[in-house]
Amino acid sequence: MSKLKRSLFHPLPMGFMMIIMIWYVLYLVIATRTIPAPLETFNYFFRHLHPLVIHMGASLMRVVVAVVLAILIGLPVGIAIGRSKRLDKVLSPLLYIIYPIPKVAFLPVFMLLFGLGNVSKVILMLFIIVFQLMLSVRDGVKDIPPHYFTVIRSFSARRKYLYRYVVLPAILPRIFSSLRISIGISLATLFFAENYATTYGIGYFILSAWMKMNYVEMFSGIIALSLLGSVLFGVIDMLEKRLTPWL
Amino acid sequence: MKPFITLKDVVYEVGGQVVFDKLNLSLDKGKVYAVIGPSGVGKTTLLYLLAGFIKPSSGQITIAGDAVYDVREQTSFLFQDLGLFPWQTATEAVKMPLEISKDRRKHENESIVNQLLGSLNILSYKDQYPHQLSGGQKQRVALARTLVTQPDLLLMDEPTSALDAMTKETIQQLFLDLQSDRFMTSVFVTHDIEEAVFLGDEILLLHPNGHYQWLKNKDQSEGLSRETKAFYDQCFYVRKQLELGGAGHE
Repeated sequence: MSKLKRSLFHPLPMGFMMIIMIWYVLYLVIATRTIPAPLETFNYFFRHLHPLVIHMGASLMRVVVAVVLAILIGLPVGIAIGRSKRLDKVLSPLLYIIYPIPKVAFLPVFMLLFGLGNVSKVILMLFIIVFQLMLSVRDGVKDIPPHYFTVIRSFSARRKYLYRYVVLPAILPRIFSSLRISIGISLATLFFAENYATTYGIGYFILSAWMKMNYVEMFSGIIALSLLGSVLFGVIDMLEKRLTPWL
Repeated sequence: MKPFITLKDVVYEVGGQVVFDKLNLSLDKGKVYAVIGPSGVGKTTLLYLLAGFIKPSSGQITIAGDAVYDVREQTSFLFQDLGLFPWQTATEAVKMPLEISKDRRKHENESIVNQLLGSLNILSYKDQYPHQLSGGQKQRVALARTLVTQPDLLLMDEPTSALDAMTKETIQQLFLDLQSDRFMTSVFVTHDIEEAVFLGDEILLLHPNGHYQWLKNKDQSEGLSRETKAFYDQCFYVRKQLELGGAGHE
């Protein structure tokens, strides 16, 4: 009984129930076809679960590839900028210029350069995630108290130990919060990215339903997108809990 | 006996200011040296020079017969703020120097760490992070981390300055016990005259005029209990010398 109670009062189902309630109230008050009934939408969602899972899988694959690439590129570059004043001087102004630009504006350029397939979509998301990650990592490295470097030096530690024992653990919390923010943004961008030259992806599913003015289907797609986001955030939370147990 | 540490004509300048001008010192193996003096006189700088964190502007420092150009693996440093990383448990912190050390057999690390934590009475806190430990427990973890590689030279920068009086005395006694077991050379900086008299075999007084003065403190075999008149007489004498500011000494 207490386990059931704990599960029900967990912030995630609680939040989900609140959204359903607000949605239901809007459905009753506004009474328009563009806001379908929650029950009807969930009914549609479960009846079309199989195609939805395929669309979610296609989107998930794009996001995961983009995140992995962003970590592989953003982490070393961010660390290098954080550690080297000269690099910081050269690269930080560049990051400040690129970071605030809405990356979705580059979609036509990426499509022209990398084709209409998955590559251009992944690169768009990579572009969204990587600069955020670089800046967070850079700031994380800069915030490491200087005497931590003296401490590790006092053990005659080679460079690899400096990264293993000081730099990486110090920036891990920043990496997770940066990923949380940028994954949220990149999921929202799927809406645009998957509207071109693909028939798979949750963004495509939502826009296609919108064009057909099938709002029940569109809302099913939105539920699937939220579910995808929740799974990704859940994985990040779990990894953070496991990898930063001191927090 | 050949000195374990020698400083020969060591000059150290920083930002155009001379901190040490032709400093010459000889320190013997197995002894405890307390460095005391007013703020800004170069106490921590002296420790940093011995540790190899900074290089002298001129002159030479030798430890165990070798010139010091960089950090030595056999020198350990206990920092004033302890320098424990918030992301390391007590075990991880103490194990780290062994993992960094090149000539250690990794499978032995666990037992070495447990043994050391046990001897410092903190084995039950082995899985705790620094924020979960009291000041005294943190101090023991930091001490264990510096001792785990069995250094021949231990440098300590105000090792007990952040502790309450009772914990301070416990840690000081613990240090003396470890020191007598390991026969290492220890140099520590302190502002606390009682600590310098209680722990040090010899006291190096650094004066603002660039002069320094050696005070022979005690015979280790006799010990110098806190409850004796001799202890307080010695404290009074050290205080007096500090007040005189090194007039007439070099």
